[in-house]
Amino acid sequence: MNSSTPSSSAAGAGSADSTAPRRNSKRPKYSRFTQQELPACKPILTPKWVIGTFLLVSVIFIPIGVVSLFASRDVVEIVDRYETDCIPEALRNDKVGFIQSDRSKTCQRTLRVPKDMKQPIYVYYQLDNFYQNHRRYVKSRSDQQLRNNGSLQDTGPCKPEDNVAGGPIVPCGLIAWSLFNDTYGFTRNNQQLNVSKRGISWKSDREHKFGKNVFPRNFQNGTLKGGATLDPDVALSDQEDLIVWMRTAALPTFRKLYGKIEVDLQRDEIINVTLQNNYNTYSFSGKKKLVLSTTSWLGGKNDFVGIAYLTVGGLCFFLALVFLLIYLIKPRQLGDPSYLSWNRNPSGH
Amino acid sequence: MYERTQSHISLRELDHESHQKIDRPYELLHVLEFSSSRRRMSVIVRNVENQLLLLSKGSDSVMLERLSKNSQDFVAVTMDHVKDALIEAAADEIERDLILLGATAVEDKLQIGVPECIEKLENAGIKIWVITGDKMETAINIGYACSLLREDMEQIVITLDSPEIIELEKKGDKEAVAKASRESVANQIRRGTLLLSSYEGRSVSPALIIDGKSLSFVLSQNLEGSFLHLAVSCASVICCRSTPKQKALVTRLVKKGTGRTTLAIGDGANDVGMLQEADIGVGISGVEGMQAAMSSDFAIAQFRFLERLLLVHGHWCYRRISMMVCYFFYKNIAFGFTLFWFEAYASFSGQPAYNDWYMSCYNVFFTSLPVIALGVFDQDVSPRLCLMNPELYKEGIQDILFSWPRILGWILNGIICSVVVFFFTTSSAVHQAFRGDGRVVDFEVLGVYMYSCVVWTVNCQMAISINYFTWMQHLVIWGSIAFWYAFLLIYGAFPPLFSTTAYQVFVEACGPSPFFWLGTMLVVVSCLLPYLLYRTVQTEFFPMPHDSIQKWQRETSDGRRGKLREKDTLLCK
Repeated sequence: MNSSTPSSSAAGAGSADSTAPRRNSKRPKYSRFTQQELPACKPILTPKWVIGTFLLVSVIFIPIGVVSLFASRDVVEIVDRYETDCIPEALRNDKVGFIQSDRSKTCQRTLRVPKDMKQPIYVYYQLDNFYQNHRRYVKSRSDQQLRNNGSLQDTGPCKPEDNVAGGPIVPCGLIAWSLFNDTYGFTRNNQQLNVSKRGISWKSDREHKFGKNVFPRNFQNGTLKGGATLDPDVALSDQEDLIVWMRTAALPTFRKLYGKIEVDLQRDEIINVTLQNNYNTYSFSGKKKLVLSTTSWLGGKNDFVGIAYLTVGGLCFFLALVFLLIYLIKPRQLGDPSYLSWNRNPSGH
Repeated sequence: MYERTQSHISLRELDHESHQKIDRPYELLHVLEFSSSRRRMSVIVRNVENQLLLLSKGSDSVMLERLSKNSQDFVAVTMDHVKDALIEAAADEIERDLILLGATAVEDKLQIGVPECIEKLENAGIKIWVITGDKMETAINIGYACSLLREDMEQIVITLDSPEIIELEKKGDKEAVAKASRESVANQIRRGTLLLSSYEGRSVSPALIIDGKSLSFVLSQNLEGSFLHLAVSCASVICCRSTPKQKALVTRLVKKGTGRTTLAIGDGANDVGMLQEADIGVGISGVEGMQAAMSSDFAIAQFRFLERLLLVHGHWCYRRISMMVCYFFYKNIAFGFTLFWFEAYASFSGQPAYNDWYMSCYNVFFTSLPVIALGVFDQDVSPRLCLMNPELYKEGIQDILFSWPRILGWILNGIICSVVVFFFTTSSAVHQAFRGDGRVVDFEVLGVYMYSCVVWTVNCQMAISINYFTWMQHLVIWGSIAFWYAFLLIYGAFPPLFSTTAYQVFVEACGPSPFFWLGTMLVVVSCLLPYLLYRTVQTEFFPMPHDSIQKWQRETSDGRRGKLREKDTLLCK
């Protein structure tokens, strides 16, 4: 009764017919591709697969979560917020005035090491509420000028920080102009802790984006100083602080690498920090923090990855159990065509 | 003439002098053959007296032209003999006192497979009407032959062959005829509707049969509404004695009146109007020429191929297209909303989270081929099972795969994915270092990280949504993901003045970072989990028809380790 057999077996017979004497047939040439009969895998969600998948995910995710969490817990981090504390109390009602004045900006901070920290210990400065990812800010740089000595005049995108009376500003643009200029000095037991500032920027930036023969010129020469000044005798590719700063951050809260401390710190040691609180974050209620952190194979201190893995793994395990229970308690004879709605009412409609 | 050889013709003639029959041979010299341009033929003979004669015959118009001027005497008499009435009288005399030998009949055979095809299509929820130029008895017989009409079906017949109408026609009063005809047709429709209402709830509805003359009154005299109402409630409708114009008009009436999709199938030049009018026109090429095939949307060779066209390809096509459109919404929302969430963190300044080139190539390279593979190749159920279960076709008729809840569901899925992608990536890569060497996540790294998550997520979503994995699907899905990384490598190798934020970002920053890969895996699995959960619950506890059939297909071919090979299914049948 099945009238599909003529057409489907005709398709099958076509290939066998190739050696038989040619009939005057209009049937198109058979190929698996054009007849949509490629060998295929048809995955469907059977209980076995569902429970298996969820179990597999939980089996993979829970160990990874545990390992990640441990890695994150191993990282020792000291965070010190200093922008309010470093203004003398008397002057705290006019922070902007203070920062713009000529007063001494030196500030002494004390850090306590909570656990043993193995070198290298990374020193970061963290800024909050600073939108380095604002479109006009990101645009305000001239890659040509940074790279080539011959393109010093190429200051188009940098307006308004492009030229002064003496000529083009090198490096031009708002990003360079707002270079962070707080400095930190560390002592432990009255001994200076050396902060290495070599190799803190990306190698590709140093070698390919900033020129070896481009020197700062007319920098911070205008009426408004936005941040640090640059040594005009040092080529841009060696100005690591600038390079680090010009690699714009993704989010309004960010850290940038300041340097590395290459000695171990013991638990409960006291580190004295002499910092110059130069940078004006007060105009936009930004926060400044000093961060000392070790790293693990996974990076810095963030429990999110570990916790998320554990959560997802746990959730999948729970779901696997739930489905297993459901299938044990109420097994449904799957694939029974009598469950089809039209077979349930044989009178049709 | 009693003898003819190659060279001689012998005639038995009446000799004028002796009044006796004598035999005379004529030597055949030459034959001037008949041709349709000359419209005559002649022979040249030599008689016994050694005279050469030319004897010629042909159609009267041609021969009369060639007569010589002095033989016009017999023309009038001869022409008289050729007249029709005389011929008919002669025929009448001959065709008399016959002996009955028997009766002959001509069977206009249906093509093979037509009754089964029609039955399958009815099971699929398709209403079938026949509009033909044959007379009513022939049309009804064909209806029985192709199982459109069944023995237990009542027939509602609307015709203008009643005695009163014929009387009026004989009288010749056109207006009265028209008025009476309209009355009659309206009455018959009313009676039919009453009969129908007494059928409420019973399984077999009556069939409606209407002839061409009544149809012309229905279509021109504002009876369309009641006619359509009656016709649509009947199991099937047969319109006989219809002109090609009426075929098109009836199709239009159904299309506009019911708002349903109409398909017209025909094989002759008189079906062209109907084929063009319907939403889909299927022409059968062959016996009656190529007219129908040339003016149709689909051309097939035999009527029974319609079954496969609709039940297999129609079903697949509907699924594929609805799935494709929903997926398009999903993948672009998943991508676009991450940009939107990022703007909230970039003070809505319009800074895109990704490099321009990533965004331009999204819909072209990294996510386009899998959708095309879905739209062209996906098969939810094998062809054999499609044909065995015509009810699957109802999914398309009821439009359950492209309903608003489904579309909104996919859009919601896209939004959820974008939320998970954005917030997981930013929460995992806040401001701490992401590598052992203390480097932090900057704008470039976050862009690559989020974008990789999006590309992985939408492609893996495709992988768990489709039902049919051939080498092609594997190639395009995993290939698109691989192409993204290849693109990053290649683009990142261009000088930084061209590649700006992508310069060596993969090779130097992201690739060597375990955090990057672990984060990607976390985000992708978290995005897909809700959908997987939803699908599991839906297929197990609220299965749709094709889900049940897929399961049944899997169960009946168990023994093969999880994989179902299409070719094996066909062979073992």
